[in-house]
Amino acid sequence: MARAREQGSPCGFDFAMAQPQLWSMADSHLFAPDHDAPIDYMRRTREYYLALGYDNPYRWAHYVDAPFQPLKKKLTDSTLALITTAAPYQPDKGDQGPGAAYNAAAKFYTVFSGDSSVDHDTRISHIGYDRKHATAKDSNTWFPLPLMREFAAEGRFTLAKHFHGAPTNRSQRVTLDTDAPEILARCRQDQVDAALLVPT
Amino acid sequence: MSLVARYLERNGIPTVVMGAAKDIVEHAGVPRFLFSDFPLGNSCGKPHEPDTQRFTLDLALKVLESAVGPRTTVQSPLRWAEDGDWKLDFNNLARMNPEEVAKRRAEFDKVKQVARSQREKSGVA
Repeated sequence: MARAREQGSPCGFDFAMAQPQLWSMADSHLFAPDHDAPIDYMRRTREYYLALGYDNPYRWAHYVDAPFQPLKKKLTDSTLALITTAAPYQPDKGDQGPGAAYNAAAKFYTVFSGDSSVDHDTRISHIGYDRKHATAKDSNTWFPLPLMREFAAEGRFTLAKHFHGAPTNRSQRVTLDTDAPEILARCRQDQVDAALLVPT
Repeated sequence: MSLVARYLERNGIPTVVMGAAKDIVEHAGVPRFLFSDFPLGNSCGKPHEPDTQRFTLDLALKVLESAVGPRTTVQSPLRWAEDGDWKLDFNNLARMNPEEVAKRRAEFDKVKQVARSQREKSGVA
């Protein structure tokens, strides 16, 4: 990593260079194992719940197009907001710590906001993350607010006054009709120019 | 979350998603996406490795600044582990015996009940 940062490319990493952590993957006829590709979560989840006896599979949001809006000003002059799916820790809602089983009681159902200038205890026990391989012990892996404060202090951008929590219930209608407009309104209140969204 | 990104973008706020579920985010279709091929729960880098977290956020910002059009996905060059064996575990029936499946089914029944009563309480059922 240190080496990557010293290269002086715009993002501190030169994609054209050999990647040290992939040293063993020089192109040859010895291909990577087929399973070593991004996980097909939709297929795996569908099959998993079918096996559990649920034959009403979740339908993931799907569009053929996507909107696009270039940054209106340089990032250094922009106000950036964090949007998270993590939940504030609620001591009365059961185990939300590392390794906790999926905890639906810890879910939240309306948009919440927090002061970006202070630390927050956020958890992901209400989400179907990888409970075997993710330790869930370091909230910086799902809630980068402290690091964003550091970047803002370094002048990379202005951190928006508030961060916002997006509910993760299964109702896409509520997300579209209620939560997304609410998050937009709160971003506008803070005169946000761009948003970083971190799903877990 | 992809729905929120699309909504903000459509309403004038450029977005970048930092995530680990490539198929789900790309199926929805978002403006900009920094994909880390890590177990779900590590969208922002590896636990207790500030270097990888800083690298990941930095790269996400570069994607935000430099994408030339929608559905831009950049894959982080970081590797979770030397091999990709961890990818075979997540909700993979092929790696579970019938007892494990039965146990998970019972757990899921409980979870569904809790979720339903929560939704009803908050009026989104």
